[in-house]
Amino acid sequence: MNAPDRYERFVVPEGTKKVSYERDTKIINAASFTVEREDHTVGNILRMQLHRDDNVLFAGYKLPHPLQYKILVRIHTTSQSSPMQAYNQAINDLDKELDHLKNSFEAELARFQRSF
Amino acid sequence: MDGVSYQRFPRVKIRELRDDCAKFELRDTDASIANALRRVMIAEVPTIAIDLVEIEVNSSVLNDEFIAHRLGLIPLTSERAMGMRFSRDCDACDGDGQCEYCSVEFHLRAKCRDDQTLDVTSKDLVSSDHSVVPVDYSDPSDYESSEQSRGIIIVKLRRGQELRLRAIARKGIGKDHAKWSPAATVTFMYEPDIHINEDMMESLTIEEKKQWVESSPTKVFDIDPVTQQVKVVDPELYTYDDEVIKKAEAMGKPGLVEIRAKEDSFIFTVESTGAIKASQLVLNAIDILKQKLDAVRLSEDTVEADDQFGELGAHMRGG
Repeated sequence: MNAPDRYERFVVPEGTKKVSYERDTKIINAASFTVEREDHTVGNILRMQLHRDDNVLFAGYKLPHPLQYKILVRIHTTSQSSPMQAYNQAINDLDKELDHLKNSFEAELARFQRSF
Repeated sequence: MDGVSYQRFPRVKIRELRDDCAKFELRDTDASIANALRRVMIAEVPTIAIDLVEIEVNSSVLNDEFIAHRLGLIPLTSERAMGMRFSRDCDACDGDGQCEYCSVEFHLRAKCRDDQTLDVTSKDLVSSDHSVVPVDYSDPSDYESSEQSRGIIIVKLRRGQELRLRAIARKGIGKDHAKWSPAATVTFMYEPDIHINEDMMESLTIEEKKQWVESSPTKVFDIDPVTQQVKVVDPELYTYDDEVIKKAEAMGKPGLVEIRAKEDSFIFTVESTGAIKASQLVLNAIDILKQKLDAVRLSEDTVEADDQFGELGAHMRGG
């Protein structure tokens, strides 16, 4: 009856930004990123990648409500870095990791198919 | 400004590969990547499925929406799906979703004219695009079975009953409706690392060893018939049930075996519905995940908007 449309889960509404962020008003080098229409798939890999960064003091994400189709990523870094820099770095590293994964899967696929 | 890279270099080893099933090892990464891949394979790799049905005649025993729902669930070959457009962002047809870039048309005409029951199956669907057809599950090497195979039954008709319809198939993802999911099952498990304390094991009698080996619900361990030593047959059969550990404690031998889950090694099992090949499903999932990451990059105007606060921001950052 009043259920939201299914596409609401993955189509970013017009006029809203996919990613926005807000700096913390009390702590320097801390910020909250709001990522629209994403869930644990992106939230969790981002968080785990941020944990690998030595300049990140805190990184966490939450899915505030199952019917609010967005995640909040909170990052606190040392003064050597900034939340935005850490965020970008994490995405770049994940992107390169997936590139590597794709190449190794393709190579393994070719090797496997040759051996039969 | 560029920070140090914390990138990892995952390794892959394929164990089994068929069109509809793949089993592979993924190493040197963490559970978040493994789980993201699994989630993307299930819910975000696109396929093509029937999404709109116009029924012309239906005098069968099933009502219109029942048949429409069944048609939606029929897997269609979807190699084209990655290159196709979603109807909602197709500019060629202004979103009515009936153009060649974003849809495929199907027709079905069936009428029963004799006393024998007529099975209407997925093979009776006539596609407008030869690359998008209902999945054929018959064994291609067995000519006879593919001749007899009748596809997926949609409805059965008796004498005089008729079904005539037009259906539009569109590209979609499993998040929207499960009918678009290309995955039957996708699972991964941690690779177990099993260490038997040999000295302690040797202090057991053969009877005790047998009892202990039997305590595992799956056949992880066995006794070597020659040396009578307990050995690991297949570590992957271990289901992390802790039964052997509890048994060792009950026998007064805590620490007899140590079982650890390797946190950077995963064994994946991917089963496809047939819409796309299992190997292609994995590759598509990696591509989709990359696209998703690209979309969540900080855009220039987001950062610019932040810099306009300038004064206050700079003041704060300056400390």
